[in-house]
Amino acid sequence: MLQVELAGLKLRNPLILASGILGSSASLALRVEEAGAGAYTTKTITRDPRPGYLNPSFIDLGIGYLNAIGLANPGIDDFAEELDLMKKAVRIPVILSVGGGSPEEYEYVVKIGAERGADAFELNLSCPHVKGMGAELGEDLDVALEIIRRARAASGGRPIFLKLSAHYNYLGLAEEALKAGISGFTAINTLRGLAIDVYARAPILSNVYGGYSGPPIKPVALRVVYELYENFGKVPIIGVGGVDSWVSALEMVLAGASAVGVGSAIAANGFEIFGEIIEGLRKYLETEGFRRITELVGLAHERSV
Amino acid sequence: MHLAARIESIINVTSTTKVYRLGYRGPSPGPGQFFMVWIPRVGEIPLSTADYEDGELLLAITRRGRVTGYIHENLRVGDRIYLRGPYGKGFNLPRGGDKTLLVGGGAGAAPLLFLAETIRERGGRCDALLGFRSGDEAFFLEEFKRSCGSLFLATDDGSMGSRGAIPDVLRQILGERGYDAIYLCGPEPMMAEVADLVRGTGLRLEASLERYMRCGVGICGTCVLDPLGLRVCRDGPVFPLEVIVRIDGFGRWWRGFDSRKTPI
Ligand SMILES: Cc1cc2nc3c(=O)[nH]c(=O)nc-3n(C[C@H](O)[C@H](O)[C@H](O)COP(=O)(O)OP(=O)(O)OC[C@H]3O[C@@H](n4cnc5c(N)ncnc54)[C@H](O)[C@@H]3O)c2cc1C
Ligand SMILES: Cc1cc2nc3c(=O)[nH]c(=O)nc-3n(C[C@H](O)[C@H](O)[C@H](O)COP(=O)(O)O)c2cc1C
Repeated sequence: MLQVELAGLKLRNPLILASGILGSSASLALRVEEAGAGAYTTKTITRDPRPGYLNPSFIDLGIGYLNAIGLANPGIDDFAEELDLMKKAVRIPVILSVGGGSPEEYEYVVKIGAERGADAFELNLSCPHVKGMGAELGEDLDVALEIIRRARAASGGRPIFLKLSAHYNYLGLAEEALKAGISGFTAINTLRGLAIDVYARAPILSNVYGGYSGPPIKPVALRVVYELYENFGKVPIIGVGGVDSWVSALEMVLAGASAVGVGSAIAANGFEIFGEIIEGLRKYLETEGFRRITELVGLAHERSV
Repeated sequence: MHLAARIESIINVTSTTKVYRLGYRGPSPGPGQFFMVWIPRVGEIPLSTADYEDGELLLAITRRGRVTGYIHENLRVGDRIYLRGPYGKGFNLPRGGDKTLLVGGGAGAAPLLFLAETIRERGGRCDALLGFRSGDEAFFLEEFKRSCGSLFLATDDGSMGSRGAIPDVLRQILGERGYDAIYLCGPEPMMAEVADLVRGTGLRLEASLERYMRCGVGICGTCVLDPLGLRVCRDGPVFPLEVIVRIDGFGRWWRGFDSRKTPI
């Protein structure tokens, strides 16, 4: 009923843990699997270790969240061992999120990841708050395509998703990326944002700028997913951004997503969010008379006569 | 968002610890819960509630590095501190009739004071064993004396109370007193020794743990305990003995801000 196939990956249901949330250890991967997720995305891993930005690096704004973790991660050489443990701990696919400052760095991380059995890769060309990484690379088409080519060559034939930002010309990038052989898209990453405390009279995040996530960004995410589907048809899309219920998960699917990422919602709803969404989707399919969730992908695109 | 809290008083309790009394109008914390404390343009760190009553929040801050050092040197009465929280799962209060001992090492005394006060307010009574490097680092002694039955004291150099480390003194007390429950907070190697000591005795033990933290709400994964997948900020910081004895590297290593394992 809820099984989906995503660029060759078989998922028991369309829910994927989004990158950067509980993505650092095998023990968390197991908890996410037990909670019901269909796949697990690691936090973005770079070639070299990164301590990330100083705290405050995360705030609950009441209307969504702002974070500037700064791509903190142990570096792929250290993380390789954790990836081994993850592969042993869980049966759901493990998607390695890959970051870096140059095509060579992306290539290196993908190569080690492929050796350690990552089931798929997600190229983070969309992190909005780290200089010289993420979204900045996605803005430079030549660099982005070089990253995709090198990642493909190093991936051992496993699927590669491109994680897009809503900030740049994502449709132009997506079109070229498809020509370069990308397997699908993850949309969207956080939106570049800022928060100020009026008594401190200062920006709250140590990095000043951060990434905005949570329910308020859902309309933006839906728009990007909808446009991708409109332009590229049945290409696999992982819809991410503000999903916090079965209703919002379904909105993503109707807009064209074959799978749905869940991130910030865990802050408010805990691990239980996965079970709640799955339960809701099942009931919806039954009461609305659908046999499979896949029948619903992109249905919102049918035009009125 | 953070809540601004005015510093009403500062007491230099030792050369390394200061106690800050704040006017605070947010949600009431329970014993064992903590706040993420932001000093604008400096940083944000987790701090336990050392006491709380009717809009007055007590923080006991021991100097450790950059942010705690800044607080000690620069913050004055009337300045503001910015808080988000209270976060985490705190201590389960002792069951009625339990003979209870609080065991705190150094800065670990802070969350236990709030617990002692809460137990007393509910009509219970507990004892406390506090350990410090030396007598001039000891703090909250009067406060613990007020809310506890017996107060045992240990210092590494013997300058106050018994000479020796907490586990040595605890070994003696446990033999003499027949406790049912122990509440523990302090340096992790000490906690590991105490956990070993208590293991298999049937005593109930809860300990408050420290880890590098970022989000405070259980989504970034920085403070994970392996191989359990428990997050100190949200599933803890207080955990029972049964959990503690299963933590990889307890008392020996934890994950740094880049998630790499680093010695404690
Ligand atoms: C739940 C909890 C409650 C705490 N309660 C108290 C308390 O009541 N009183 C008190 O004095 N201290 C308490 N601490 C410890 C306090 O958070 C650290 O001493 C403080 O973060 C050090 O910051 P710094 O900038 O001065 O030190 P730094 O220069 O940053 O580092 C010194 C050391 O402090 C620790 N540390 C630094 N940042 C963090 C962080 N974000 N999270 C966890 N550890 C960190 C690391 O071990 C580091 O090596 C608590 C910690 C936790 C996790
Ligand atoms: C704390 C936090 C850390 C994140 N870290 C990453 C990351 O390392 N790599 C990445 O591609 N996206 C990262 N993201 C973005 C999420 O994967 C997701 O795209 C975004 O938060 C929108 O989804 P949501 O509203 O469900 O959270 C992070 C988000 C948050 C809240």
